[in-house]
Amino acid sequence: MNSCAKPRKRSDAMRRSVLYWIGALCLCLSLTAGAEGKNLPPPQDYGVTIMGAPGEQRVLPAVRFDHWLHRAFYTCRLCHVDLGFAMTRNGTGVKADMNAQGLYCGACHDGQRVHGNRAIFAACRTSIRPEAAAECNRCHSVGIPVKRMYDYDSFTRKLPKQKTGLVDWEKAEEQGFIRPSDILRGVSVVRPRMIPQGDFIINSRGLWMTDIIFSHKKHADWNGCEVCHPDIFPSVKKGTVRYSMFQIAEGEYCGLCHDRVAFPLVECQKCHVKSTPHPGKGVEGAASRP
Amino acid sequence: MNIRLHISVLVTALTAALFLMESPLPSHDTVSARAVAYAQDSWQKEFDDICSKTQDAMLFNVEELRNLIARCDALKPRIEKLEASERKVATKKLSVCRDLYEFVREAKEKK
Repeated sequence: MNSCAKPRKRSDAMRRSVLYWIGALCLCLSLTAGAEGKNLPPPQDYGVTIMGAPGEQRVLPAVRFDHWLHRAFYTCRLCHVDLGFAMTRNGTGVKADMNAQGLYCGACHDGQRVHGNRAIFAACRTSIRPEAAAECNRCHSVGIPVKRMYDYDSFTRKLPKQKTGLVDWEKAEEQGFIRPSDILRGVSVVRPRMIPQGDFIINSRGLWMTDIIFSHKKHADWNGCEVCHPDIFPSVKKGTVRYSMFQIAEGEYCGLCHDRVAFPLVECQKCHVKSTPHPGKGVEGAASRP
Repeated sequence: MNIRLHISVLVTALTAALFLMESPLPSHDTVSARAVAYAQDSWQKEFDDICSKTQDAMLFNVEELRNLIARCDALKPRIEKLEASERKVATKKLSVCRDLYEFVREAKEKK
């Protein structure tokens, strides 16, 4: 029996190793092809949200919202929890009169709140004066050439970059280039500093792909708990939520942020960091606490 | 003497007028504005108190979480009385906060 088991074990190991390398090669090829074929938008357009449904009748052009600019100054949680912005495009339904009441964009863009040493320009008012149209076009800028106060290239010149050329926001914060604020005076609920939950491993089903170490700290610092739970991840129990890279690529689970605003999926090793693959034992997308 | 008397009467009258201008008898408008401000202030205070604890949601036991959820539910009708836009934002914020507590409670109960 023993003499038979040894070669079988060896052949299993060999098969796994071959599968691992074939898989890794396929993944590299597909991601390279994907990156070139799918073409990530240019860095200045990555994470841009267009506010205004296509075909909607409007007086002004749709709003171009630059995530890159706002995330440099504020955490995700601030807007998506404290200000009540939805996580899906056009899911919020912001209207000019709401801004004028100091809600949504108007919470900061009220012409009075100061950022740095400058008052933040006021967002829409219900009545639009023709002479104020240029002011409106600072946000309502889709399809029209607008000179922006913050130019992407000069704003991000010194910031650390990822392989894709996008800004590495995590490093940018670590290195002190940005300090996103988590509090908006008069709007945010004042909270004590969060005690982060521990990191955990998400097993990868692919024989050739390393497991994921999910950092609660990295995510919770910018998102709090509410951005992800329960809407995006409705369970914390091991194995109850299963998801695949296909679903993620379609914008579910991690894909709601990653590949849209947070770093793109082609940066595999930013998530799949655990060095040894765990062939066969993992359940895809199933979280296991250490 | 006469002039002094006149001046003192004038000063008294002016003071009285100023006093009356500063504190008029409350009209309906003022009362309702104050009531709205108070009501708003009071829901906001309760909201802040409940939802300032989301960071610590994992530290609460099931009973404490149930209590927070019940407070969220009790606050909802008060938020529903707000003006439409404000109601929309407040409802969303309350639901995000409540859902998190509910999520953690369920996770703890299933353990």
